[in-house]
Amino acid sequence: MKAFFEKIKENEFYKLWFKDALPYVTGAVLLSVFQIVTFATTGNPWGVSGVFAEWGAWIFELFGGSVDKWYYFSSPGAQATLNAGILNHAPTWRNLGIIAGALFAAMMASGFKIKKIKSYKQVVAAVLGGLLMGYGARIAFGCNIGALYSGIASLSLSGWVFAAFMFVGAIIGSKLLVKYFM
Amino acid sequence: MSKEVVLDCLGEACPIPLVKSEKAIEKMAVGDVLVVQVDHSCAMKNVPEWARKQGYEVEVEEVDDGEWEIIIEKTK
Repeated sequence: MKAFFEKIKENEFYKLWFKDALPYVTGAVLLSVFQIVTFATTGNPWGVSGVFAEWGAWIFELFGGSVDKWYYFSSPGAQATLNAGILNHAPTWRNLGIIAGALFAAMMASGFKIKKIKSYKQVVAAVLGGLLMGYGARIAFGCNIGALYSGIASLSLSGWVFAAFMFVGAIIGSKLLVKYFM
Repeated sequence: MSKEVVLDCLGEACPIPLVKSEKAIEKMAVGDVLVVQVDHSCAMKNVPEWARKQGYEVEVEEVDDGEWEIIIEKTK
């Protein structure tokens, strides 16, 4: 593998397509095009974190639980999605595609590395942050993709409201980061 | 005599390497060299961007898979 990368390292097309990061504008255009594709093919706007709630429901059902009576899954649409199963769930495949694609891109740029955990503070911050983001995204009916990106793309005012408060959150988050990690 | 300061930011996500670099270079004298070790690709982008904007001499070296050294010379 090493020899292979040594050989193509200087190739200009390798650098252009795999090694160097794409400009932000190119990334933005590609995201826009593919969210139109996902809307056209699945009938729903792009979302990422709603899938986690459905994965949770399927795991819960695997252990004999039932979410029929839960308010979050009570609509006929949500029940139909859960009954159709994970293999027929397009957003699941899209999320797996994102993970596989990101891994492929990192490996092609020979940038894949298993990073060490530097301190217990990182673990605490990651777990706390993950729980807050997951909980927040569900009660807001969307994360920065479903509520913000797809919201704004659908010309919905809620997307802009989400953006304003995400900005406030980012400022608070940065202050906390500097306070606890510097 | 110029000295070299090594800043270990391995395993640290954005924007910590950038903030640490800003603080480290503040304490350094003109002519000193700051070597920032990073393993998050976003730091490989935003740290050199900031340093070049400050007018410093910047070089990025790929030392291993997913590991870079950003070499910044405090030129002024």
